Amino acid sequence: MRWIESARRWLRTRVRRPDERELDEELRLHLELEIEENLRRGLSPGEARRRALAAFGRVEDVKDDVRDVRPLARWLGDLRRDARIALRSLPRQPVFAAAVVLTLGIGIGGDVAMLGVLDAALFRTLPYPEPERLVFGRVTYDGEVGRTVSGPDFFDTRERTRTLASLSAITPFPVEATVTGGAAPERVQAPLVSSGLFETLGVRPFLGRDFTHEEGEPGGPPVAVLSNAFWQRRLGEDFDVIGTTIALDGVPTTIVGVMPPGFRFLVDADAWRPIQRGIDWAAARQFHNFVLVGRLAPGVPFAAAQAEVDVISRQLAAAYPDTNEGKGIRLTPLREALGESVRGPLDLLLAAVTLVLVVACANAAGLLVARGSARRQEMAVRTVMGARRARLARQLLTENGLLALGAAGLGILLSLGIQRGVLAFLPTDALGPLRAGLSGSMIAAAILLALATLALFGVLPAIRMARSEPASELRSGRRTTSGRGSARTQRILVVAQVAMTSVLVIVSGLLLRSFLQLRGVDPGFDAEGLLTAEVALPAGTYGHMAERLAFFERLRERATALPGVSAVGVVDRLPVRDGGGNVRVSTPEEWGSGGVFERLAYQRRVLPGYFQAMGIPLLSGRDVTRGDERDAPNVMLVSASLADDLFPDEDAVGRVLAVDIGEAEPWIAEVVGIVGDVVPNSLAEGTDYAMYFSYAQRSAASMRLAIRTHGDRAGITSGLRDILGSLDPELPLAGVVSMDEVLATSLAGRRSVMTVLLAFAGVALLLAAVGLYGLMAYHVSRRVHEIGVRIALGAPTSTVALAVLRRGLGLVAAGLAVALPLSLAAGRFVQDMLFGVGGLDLLTWAGTAAFLSGVATLACLLPARRAAVVDPMEALRAE
Amino acid sequence: MSRSDLLQGSLDLLILRVLEMEPLHGWAVSKRIQLLSRDVLEVNQGSLYPALYRLRDRGLIESEWRTSDEGRRIKVYHLTSRGRRALGRERRSWRRFAGAVEAILAAG
Repeated sequence: MRWIESARRWLRTRVRRPDERELDEELRLHLELEIEENLRRGLSPGEARRRALAAFGRVEDVKDDVRDVRPLARWLGDLRRDARIALRSLPRQPVFAAAVVLTLGIGIGGDVAMLGVLDAALFRTLPYPEPERLVFGRVTYDGEVGRTVSGPDFFDTRERTRTLASLSAITPFPVEATVTGGAAPERVQAPLVSSGLFETLGVRPFLGRDFTHEEGEPGGPPVAVLSNAFWQRRLGEDFDVIGTTIALDGVPTTIVGVMPPGFRFLVDADAWRPIQRGIDWAAARQFHNFVLVGRLAPGVPFAAAQAEVDVISRQLAAAYPDTNEGKGIRLTPLREALGESVRGPLDLLLAAVTLVLVVACANAAGLLVARGSARRQEMAVRTVMGARRARLARQLLTENGLLALGAAGLGILLSLGIQRGVLAFLPTDALGPLRAGLSGSMIAAAILLALATLALFGVLPAIRMARSEPASELRSGRRTTSGRGSARTQRILVVAQVAMTSVLVIVSGLLLRSFLQLRGVDPGFDAEGLLTAEVALPAGTYGHMAERLAFFERLRERATALPGVSAVGVVDRLPVRDGGGNVRVSTPEEWGSGGVFERLAYQRRVLPGYFQAMGIPLLSGRDVTRGDERDAPNVMLVSASLADDLFPDEDAVGRVLAVDIGEAEPWIAEVVGIVGDVVPNSLAEGTDYAMYFSYAQRSAASMRLAIRTHGDRAGITSGLRDILGSLDPELPLAGVVSMDEVLATSLAGRRSVMTVLLAFAGVALLLAAVGLYGLMAYHVSRRVHEIGVRIALGAPTSTVALAVLRRGLGLVAAGLAVALPLSLAAGRFVQDMLFGVGGLDLLTWAGTAAFLSGVATLACLLPARRAAVVDPMEALRAE
Repeated sequence: MSRSDLLQGSLDLLILRVLEMEPLHGWAVSKRIQLLSRDVLEVNQGSLYPALYRLRDRGLIESEWRTSDEGRRIKVYHLTSRGRRALGRERRSWRRFAGAVEAILAAG
């Protein structure tokens, strides 16, 4: 192996240093021979030796020149020696070394952890073959991206597209079903997917097969593909399960496949059911229930697919102007689309944690500069002793490099914990929970960050220290003002820390204020003591509306009688808990005019007593009653804002409205009452138009219970279960959760981002406070002499202490001034995450300034006190 | 006795040349050059040893420790076959160079 030989030779002759002992012996031999020669020429022994030495020159210089023959080896050797010196000297200053490593370690650890989270969330490869060909499709209205596409639009687009090898659809929200038979009845997640979804993704079932095309057509047989987890849990991993049936919502459904372990797409699923053309979910172009996933045909660029889909959308708009005018489909690369929901918060947290790192760097640099001043004497002595300045600078840099290395190590360790903490707080993304763990890219990031920090905090102090003037250093002795330059550097560093910290505190403050504002939003009902639950009636056994109505009336009656329950409401979708379901509404005259109207209102079906149980005020008219039955005239209640919008300055009660229910003819009903506005979806979106129908006139299979309680929740829950069991043992009680929890969960995402951000801001604040304290303590210790003189001359101690305080607060003021434009930019950056406050919020500003000044005062208090108790006699004698 | 400074690069040639005649230790190399140049060229230790180590790193010479006739441990350098080829090249190029300089000096 020639190349191994040359590699070995390269190592031997470049990397390894010449053998010092061999060189010594060789040079000694040379000298001896020279001396012997001189003796032979008749010189005296002393003279012979002197001349030989003179001719030879400095032995060390010769050795140095020989070492220079191998520059790389020499460099490595020097590095090793510097590292040895540093390793000996650092433990002699344990507090300093620990402070620098800890400070930087925290900064690096936070950054690495966030990079790891971001990497896992946004940049990981999708677990599907050729993932770059996968696209995500959402509806657009006049170019604005919405969410769901309607079933008919999907089917038409799928038929016409040529640029997409396949196009499929899935319901992007929880769709539930009841499984009965065998074990206890159970509510499961059973999203609807088009027949080609698994094929589009490129995932083969673990057992059995994918849906066939016919199973997605009208009249297709009831079939399902199960998740691996559900198959294990409910069917005990029975390999003969394919072809058997399972009761889903009372319908015997044939199991055709089981997916591989861990497969999850977009939403949780225990079973997937095919979307059949024409089923309720896909019945009309106004019903938008699906998001699309497509696979680009081989070699087709993304833009071509979007262009083709645009053409198809225009064709549909021309064919169905009533429903499709201005409607389109926007394609996005799938990975990008899946990362969108977490992108904003993660970017914010990464920016925040980077600010923490910058603060940590400034802090460490401050420590180094301070120590540099203390070591000026040492450096001056070593310069005089003949050490070259470049060598000194190199040695200092090596010391700092070792500290950075230690910080990188500590950072990697800390990052694991921080990452786990951040992941625990953050909502999982569309692909399922993110795994914590150390990746190669995280280690690389830690090392790069350590190098960057080294450049930021290590190089300058090293150069500046090595450049000191030895003569003036040594002459001026200990207590001098020769550190003027380094004192200025330290002040700049502290100002920088205060500025960065202020930006963080201000942004955290804005998010905190937003959160508090949101929590203070009035949802329009009384959430306290409100328990919610869910009951779904399978269509198979409760096919008739009368049966369903009778069931819910009985349930409501018996639940109300439970001890600790004062009222029970029944509704198909509860505010905040179950959003969605808005349709167009107008007066019949507007409807008849054929004009385009876009007034959307959330439609809800209720049983009598719902408003009373929820605490929603009935403003005028009446609630629905048992008399509003199927054959009676249609009635509805509207929310106050909808009534105002439709009939300004008029009484809405007694008027008739037309509601778009996806059929040719609207649903016509008379307004019999007006109720208060509620928040249908999220607190951040606020209240919206709503209309309520009598369950007897417009029924639904799955209903929610709103239970007004004033007692033990566990007892009430088991009481409810008993009642349900006695009414129908096949029915599970699902989703038992208090409204307070629902509200808290709806804010959980914001809360977690805010909490993590607050933690980061807290760390930065602590670092900045320590930095300020260190500077002021140093400032006082350098001026003990001057302070002593001033006190001796009669300056009151309070004046001396105040001078220290004023100096510290001056730095804080400077930092706040620098932070001003920075946090304006930061405020714009987080604008989308704010609620009820602007990016420029005076209260937050003032609060931050006051808070930082308070912390700064605390940090300066100890040094100021020390200045005040300086004993003038001692201070002067020490000189 | 005036000593000429060695031309840059010519020291390597001289070392290879004297080692071509017989293996020598460092001190002997410098003495041999001095002798053969009739005391015109004196090799400074500060140049000699770096040159020896450089030539060894390039694989042109090798060294080994031996015991001399007087029973002294000495480090002896000898030419390798690569060194022999290098010497031939260096010798030709030096002769061309020297001839060219001489031609200019003799002209006119």
